[in-house]
Amino acid sequence: METDELLLNMGPVHPATHGVLRFKLRMDGEIIRDCEIVMGYLHRGTEKLGEMKTYLQFIPYTDRLDYLSAMPNNYAYVKAVEELADIEVPLRAEYIRVLTLELNRIINHLVFMGSLILDLGANTAIMWGFREREKALQLYEMLCGARMTFSYMRIGGVREDLPEGFIPKLNDFIKDMEKRIVDYEQLINGNEIFLLRMKNIGVINADEAINYGMTGPSLRGSGVNYDIRKLEPYSIYPDIDFKACVRKECDSYARYLVRMDEMKESLHILRQVADTMPAGDIITTQKYGIAPMTGAPSAVMTYFPRIFTPPVGEVYTRTEAPKGELGFYVVSDGTTKPYRVKIRSPSFCNLVALPKMIVGLKIPDLIAAFGTIDIVLGDVDR
Amino acid sequence: MIANAYELVVYILSAIGIYDPINGFFQNYGMEYLLRIIIIVVEIVVLLVFVLLTVMFLSWLERKMFAWVQSRYGPMITGPHGLFQPIADGIKLVGKEDIIPAGADRWIFTLAPFIIFVPALLVFIPLPFGDSLIISDLRIGLLYIIAISALSPVSILLAGWASNNKYSLMGAMRAVAQDISYTIPLALAAIAVVLYVGSLSTVDIVRAQEGTWFDIIPRWFIFVQPLAFILFLIASIAEMGRIPFDFQESEQELVAGFYTEYSGMKFAMYFLGEYAHMFAVSGVIVTVFLGGWTGPVLPFIPVQITSLVYFIIKTYAVIFFAMWLRDTVPRMRIDQLLNLGWKIMIPLALLNLLVTSFLLTAGVV
Amino acid sequence: MAWISKNWAMTGIMKGLIVTLKHIFHIGNRPLVTVQYPYEKMKLAPRFRGRHSVDQDACIGCGICEVSCPNGTIRIVKYNGRWFPEFNLGMCLFCGLCVDACPMNAIKMNGGYELANYSRESLVYGPERILFKKEVNK
Ligand code: SF4
Ligand code: SF4
Repeated sequence: METDELLLNMGPVHPATHGVLRFKLRMDGEIIRDCEIVMGYLHRGTEKLGEMKTYLQFIPYTDRLDYLSAMPNNYAYVKAVEELADIEVPLRAEYIRVLTLELNRIINHLVFMGSLILDLGANTAIMWGFREREKALQLYEMLCGARMTFSYMRIGGVREDLPEGFIPKLNDFIKDMEKRIVDYEQLINGNEIFLLRMKNIGVINADEAINYGMTGPSLRGSGVNYDIRKLEPYSIYPDIDFKACVRKECDSYARYLVRMDEMKESLHILRQVADTMPAGDIITTQKYGIAPMTGAPSAVMTYFPRIFTPPVGEVYTRTEAPKGELGFYVVSDGTTKPYRVKIRSPSFCNLVALPKMIVGLKIPDLIAAFGTIDIVLGDVDR
Repeated sequence: MIANAYELVVYILSAIGIYDPINGFFQNYGMEYLLRIIIIVVEIVVLLVFVLLTVMFLSWLERKMFAWVQSRYGPMITGPHGLFQPIADGIKLVGKEDIIPAGADRWIFTLAPFIIFVPALLVFIPLPFGDSLIISDLRIGLLYIIAISALSPVSILLAGWASNNKYSLMGAMRAVAQDISYTIPLALAAIAVVLYVGSLSTVDIVRAQEGTWFDIIPRWFIFVQPLAFILFLIASIAEMGRIPFDFQESEQELVAGFYTEYSGMKFAMYFLGEYAHMFAVSGVIVTVFLGGWTGPVLPFIPVQITSLVYFIIKTYAVIFFAMWLRDTVPRMRIDQLLNLGWKIMIPLALLNLLVTSFLLTAGVV
Repeated sequence: MAWISKNWAMTGIMKGLIVTLKHIFHIGNRPLVTVQYPYEKMKLAPRFRGRHSVDQDACIGCGICEVSCPNGTIRIVKYNGRWFPEFNLGMCLFCGLCVDACPMNAIKMNGGYELANYSRESLVYGPERILFKKEVNK
């Protein structure tokens, strides 16, 4: 029988596109024949903004890239500038940074889990995810005063020291989280319908995944052991005991499991960091006249010079953000503002591999596979 | 023996001694039929009010349970524990602008939400709420119920087609495909029970389940026909159109499926229709497999009241299960449901039918 | 579908049902956690970065906060014969850079977070709304 192809515009306003993303689908009944991703609805010119702001002023903007995991964005940018200017960061600051980074990884994966299950039609897990996320956000609120857009990292250290009672609360959170993860696994992992929807759906093999430039948990779900924390260890990760979580099945379920495993690894890292937190400065005091501010009412208040000019040069740093490899390419021309900031965002690179995964499948599979690559539109469009 | 609600009303009226005078009054003018009509209309109004109140309560219960599963409170502000929330919702929805999309088929678009109520309400006619609490004990009761509830996709198809929206159309198509694949196992599972009882009448089916084995296990068909029960339950949940089988709406895929374009009061009609349907389907499950109104007879309380209470408790247990399931599982894929229906449920139902009829002919049960 | 035939008992769904049932009846430390927001409010951390307030006696009107703000939120305006910052909170990122930059430590960010309003103009917080006196605060 002759049938027409149906052109379906999914999005930009659609419940399952996690924001403003448009899929241009050519459908044969319910089967997807072709998928074109139209993005850019959330483009805010962040890279250009980077050229207009001073090095310090750009930090709040990095929060808004991947707003679910602002801390790794902060960190990636700050790390790039530190490498550019050759600033050494005190050990305590690095510990605090890793603590916040791993806490953020947990938050990110909680939201991932919730929204994936929501996309599949079960509405419970997302509120559970948000329930635990709220506890982590309260920790952040104690630490830096914000709940989503932290702006906590500073070039050469962090903004404020750990507040009193932070570590015990963190330990509570870890203990609580361990119990909750058992709940999640009971609800989701063995659920037959969930398995039906996830297994052998959205398959992308290792070679293709690498060719598309996928990184992070999505790539590790295809059996590639690629974790920048292990390959190019930065900060204090070399001293910490953890393993990169890899699954070989290449399908949506593997990508989901990798993230659940990563949550447990992050808890493991958090526990180590909390136990071995050293004393010391939280921001560097050596270079560029950075010194604790005189007469500051609280000892933690620090003063970073307004006129900060790193030497001429360029640097590309990459970090393992919760969603994948987050790279910042910063070029300095010796003035107070960067000459160019280029952001290599994990969401963007992972998203372009989606059509490969879902051509020939159905709309519900598109939703499931899309959920497992875990993107945030702020990160895709920048 | 009082057979249905009409006779019950007549019985009560004569018991308090006012039936004969009223009847005599109407007979004077040669209009006995007027009294019949009045009584039937009153019955129907009572049923409608009951259904509407139940629907409101159900939507509150659904939200509340959903909230508890998610560690939330749910509605708390309007009334005690938010009990009047459905009324507030209703007022809000009535006040909304009623939008008809430009390319829509105006008449069908407007008519479809009202059509969905018809099957949901007609199902209540042969449904025994209690001993003699039944509008009409049809001799083909079960067949009637299955046939009528298979009508609800018509409304969905009309809505989906008239909306002139691709998502709506896909939702409607899914609803039709789903309807065919679950109605057959539903009917086949029910036939096993009918074979056992030897009658299609819902009252006869309930009466066949009275009594107990060994004084503890009630003679419900769930124990006689466990496989048929499971098939019937799965098919019924599919018929309610709820997670894990809510393909007609499937919010994350089709925005809102067939009612994507609806707003205001028409949207509320679908909402009400869904819950009315849910209550009706749960009532059918209770009637066919869970012993209907049967239960221990209490002294001094009229059997009509106790049986009504038993029926409602059982129905709410089934509804609780449906809501509980909704809070737990994700949605299946439409082709997976079709596979489940055609490749697993229908063969199983046929097998069950075969075994049942064999055992019945052999006189084992 | 071949997969489903391997697990007729649906143990995974059963497990899930048990977990959700535990939540419905709050068994085993699974309490209701949400807050009835407008009627009860959560306690904010002392470091919460909300609306700004400026110490009337400390501020010298130097304008460093104006320069350090990434978004141009701050404008220095004349008020009662002195210069004070004025915050257009509609643009503010609540990043706290102005707090860090102020040489006199005059800016505080407090717990004011209910800032929704009907017009953009009313989001401009001039000195009359943000100034505070330290003595009063004590
Ligand atoms: S608030 Fe601080 S930085 Fe701003 S004008 Fe006053 S003293 Fe200067
Ligand atoms: S918090 Fe940030 S954006 Fe707001 S006024 Fe201060 S520096 Fe500007």
